[in-house]
Amino acid sequence: MDLVLRGLEVRFGRSLVLDIGELRLFGERVTAVLGPNGAGKSTLLRVLAGLVRPARGAVLIDGAPVPARVRRGLVALSFQRPVFVSGTVRENLDLALRLRGVPRQEREARISSVAEACGIAELLRRPARALSGGEAQRANLARALALQAPLTLLDEPLAGIDGPARRSLLAELRGLLRRFARSVVLVTHDPEEASRLADDVVVLLEGRVHACGPKSEVFRRPPDAATAAFLGWTVLPGEGGDVAVPPGGFRFGGDGFRFRMRVDAVLDRGYERLVEGAIAGSPVTVPLPPSAPAPAVGSEVEVVALPEAVERFSE
Amino acid sequence: MELWEGVVEAVRMVARADPYLRDVALRTLLVSGSATLLAMAVGVPLGYLLARARFPGRTVVLTAVHTGMGLPPVIAGLVIFLLFVRSGPFGGLGLIYTPQAMVIAQFVIALPMVVGFTAAAVASLPVEFSELLAMLGAGPLRTMWLTVREARLGLLAAVMAGFGAVISEVGASMTVGGNLAGSTRVLTTAIVLEASRGEHARAIALGVILLALALAVNFILTSFQQRRGA
Repeated sequence: MDLVLRGLEVRFGRSLVLDIGELRLFGERVTAVLGPNGAGKSTLLRVLAGLVRPARGAVLIDGAPVPARVRRGLVALSFQRPVFVSGTVRENLDLALRLRGVPRQEREARISSVAEACGIAELLRRPARALSGGEAQRANLARALALQAPLTLLDEPLAGIDGPARRSLLAELRGLLRRFARSVVLVTHDPEEASRLADDVVVLLEGRVHACGPKSEVFRRPPDAATAAFLGWTVLPGEGGDVAVPPGGFRFGGDGFRFRMRVDAVLDRGYERLVEGAIAGSPVTVPLPPSAPAPAVGSEVEVVALPEAVERFSE
Repeated sequence: MELWEGVVEAVRMVARADPYLRDVALRTLLVSGSATLLAMAVGVPLGYLLARARFPGRTVVLTAVHTGMGLPPVIAGLVIFLLFVRSGPFGGLGLIYTPQAMVIAQFVIALPMVVGFTAAAVASLPVEFSELLAMLGAGPLRTMWLTVREARLGLLAAVMAGFGAVISEVGASMTVGGNLAGSTRVLTTAIVLEASRGEHARAIALGVILLALALAVNFILTSFQQRRGA
């Protein structure tokens, strides 16, 4: 289902935490809402789920405004911090489906298939409160997917998981969403996670939408300097506006935009050598060609940004 | 020494199943137990609402509840006395100097404790818990049941605090019950009576038995809490 947020303002006390003129999210796709901590991402998800009442504005579904109470019945939201009632994992999944009015036989069928797919079949009889971080996130995800809601909302689905557990869930998540969910909006602070999971990306900074579109567009051509900086680009003041260079966009030698870099360190990683330094105070890492001599630490060297990668933002 | 004599006398009274002691101890448990149960029945839903509902004056109500947790029993007793005394507004019910009046007075004492502890226990649940239930479409009664069930460890604290307060209070029981032998005498009022007669060993003996009763009830509740908390 297509979603439109129009004229949306959310206030906590005096502070304006969300201020969205118009935001369109397309149905049958995975949209990642990307932004740093405190940008208002979770609040946006709660507004969509009908759990937070905006001070003004409306949420339209397929063109028609839908009140919060109705939206609650259309979404499956998994929280960043998984919450369970006391009881087993199975009891938690069953309660969720029961509250949504799913008949008994179907509940059992859904729980088995989702648990199997999410890799928690062995955990179903364990007390939900006793799960480890990774297991709890999987159970949290399984509960949301079992609901088979028209709109699935995931708040930092990989929160609290590290290392191999994170990598394996990240690898499986896209497939799980394709199999069990229809329209998905997920929230993350990690551009890498967004690029691997989503079709579309919304960049939210300080409660405002800075970028919105297919991920290839947003990641390749960030629309403003703040978005570029958040996505890891090096943003430098230039004549008539900011110049932004994507990660890995600097070289020694060749044609393009030239910058002076102060050398802070030379890293020899065996298979490659990297020069770490700063351009006008912004940290930059540049690969050193195999034959080139290492520059002295503290010296200034010239680096080049490939012109086709560079974005310019006029003031 | 009278303290030691009191302990010995307590053992003797229990050993010979003293009928006077049995009568007073049983009434104590009955009166304080019913008052606590009534306070739970009324106080748990009120505490839940106080923790979850947002209404103007909520802070004032919460402050009143917290103050009520320290309400001197004798004041509660005095108010109930004036309401239920023959000439009072509810005098026609004929409840003054009956165990029922004592239950009402102890209910008033226990209620703020149950409300306060329940509200604190519910408020300490993560906000996502109520959001989850709202998102899943649980109705208000279902939500209350699931929430209170989740806060049950805090509710045990509420029972212990409420029961502990009423089984050990003397002012209200004395004022509305009148300490009538065989009818409204409970352990605390019996202790006061024995002490005023100069029967210090007997007073201590009753005190030891009161403590033992409180200990036993709390032990049962605490083991329940430990088992469920695991």
